[in-house]
Amino acid sequence: MKETPLATDEQDRALVARYLDNHQDAAGALVDRYQQRLFNVALRMLGNVHDAEDVTQTVFLNAFHKLRTYDPRYKFFSWIYRMTVNESLNMLKRRKPTIPLKDDLDTPVPGSGADGAVDAGTQVGRALMSLKPDDRAVVVLRHFVSFSYQEIADVLEIPVQTVKSRLFTARERLRLSLNEGVR
Amino acid sequence: MLSREQVELIQQEIDSANTPEQSAALRSLLQQDPEARAMAAELRRVAALFGQVAEREAPARLKRAILDALPQPAGASPGALLRWAVRGLRAVTKSMEEPIMTRKAMLIASAAAAVVVVAVGLITGFPPVGRIAGTIGGVQPAARYHGKVMTEADVSLKNPEIQALLQNDQVLHLVQSDAFRQVMENDAYRKLLASEAFRQLQDNEMFRQLQDNEMFRQLQDNEMFRQLQAQGAFRQMQSSEAMRQLQDNELFRQLQANEAFRKVMESDAFRQVMENDLYRQLQDNELFRQLQDNELFRKVLASDALRQLQSAEVFRSLSQSEALSHAFMREAMRSQN
Repeated sequence: MKETPLATDEQDRALVARYLDNHQDAAGALVDRYQQRLFNVALRMLGNVHDAEDVTQTVFLNAFHKLRTYDPRYKFFSWIYRMTVNESLNMLKRRKPTIPLKDDLDTPVPGSGADGAVDAGTQVGRALMSLKPDDRAVVVLRHFVSFSYQEIADVLEIPVQTVKSRLFTARERLRLSLNEGVR
Repeated sequence: MLSREQVELIQQEIDSANTPEQSAALRSLLQQDPEARAMAAELRRVAALFGQVAEREAPARLKRAILDALPQPAGASPGALLRWAVRGLRAVTKSMEEPIMTRKAMLIASAAAAVVVVAVGLITGFPPVGRIAGTIGGVQPAARYHGKVMTEADVSLKNPEIQALLQNDQVLHLVQSDAFRQVMENDAYRKLLASEAFRQLQDNEMFRQLQDNEMFRQLQDNEMFRQLQAQGAFRQMQSSEAMRQLQDNELFRQLQANEAFRKVMESDAFRQVMENDLYRQLQDNELFRQLQDNELFRKVLASDALRQLQSAEVFRSLSQSEALSHAFMREAMRSQN
């Protein structure tokens, strides 16, 4: 069950305070809370498992390094998701264009693809990589993290209207792209 | 043709972002307009596809890698500190925004780790190609070396610095420890040291030059490496002059481009060693830490004598030699008695 943003933020704050009080177990707890989600965001942004792992690790290290200067007025989860998206965007800028391996794009849905048809994961992975990175970020946060428009706006530090605009444009492209894939 | 506002209504409905009034307006639209119904169906299908994509498990090693790389509180194990140093280098270099930084960071981290691997190998002095019961490694001569054949009688360990090291209590205790023996007997470690790429790396002039390089040594000897528990160490390292110089060092760049070096760092064997519990146990081992802190050990690693020895054909033969293994263990046991 998805935690409410309020509950999430309170627990995060408690763990951050504990970590800053030199309780190393809090670091492990924060990693446990976020590694899976951040890794999947990075994976969907980058289409590559190794890069996603790299980004996730860098994000956590930077986050722990900057915790003492972290402004508690902002939500921890918005902050760390923002770092993940930004780090992924940076990696996309740095790297040369590559063709993602099929295995990198997705985990096949159990039961799908047995008849040789392209499974949902692969379809979505390919379609995502066809989007502009900024649009992709909005789609990833909406569909893989289930963030609201406002939460996405907070993470990306853009107006809600821009979130909507990017999301709608991206979905329109995805719709066309996925339709092409079906044909 | 649907207007943008109508499409937005459909999209917002999918995202549960419509007000009750907007939802009612959409229902009315869908009842009246087949095009709107078709569009809504397609967009729902797109959204549903995302719901079918399974979340991918984060790699099991990820958490450990993150936690190992964090600054350790006072009293943390030296092995953890060492791992943090290596990972820290990676994070530091990553933050320097250069196009090839990921690769470079990995190589710097790997280079630091490789020094540790090489250092362990140096204590025993041989890549353990095979295994003979009762020895801690070293066996068949490498086919590619056809220099003087070493016999046990030739193993005199004449070099005074090497001799001093072998007579050092910490060294002896370390090699007699279970953790050390287990690492030496570990398949991945043996495969790495026995690999052609690793040999090529050791033979590689650039790699030797790098080890000789004053800046590289400065970095290795940097006091921060030994005082990493201090909270400010990470930031200090970021601004380390030695680090910057190393980054700019042409030799280091050349090394990164070296095929043998890359092969070693990217090899499964190397990764397995780095991730191997036994290797970590060794790093956590108090004796190993003492050895790394040992001035004599560092002196030997930095000594011209050792470098000359390493580059000598006779050392290569010797380093492949079972005789050295016997001699070393004999010496170790003798000192123990």
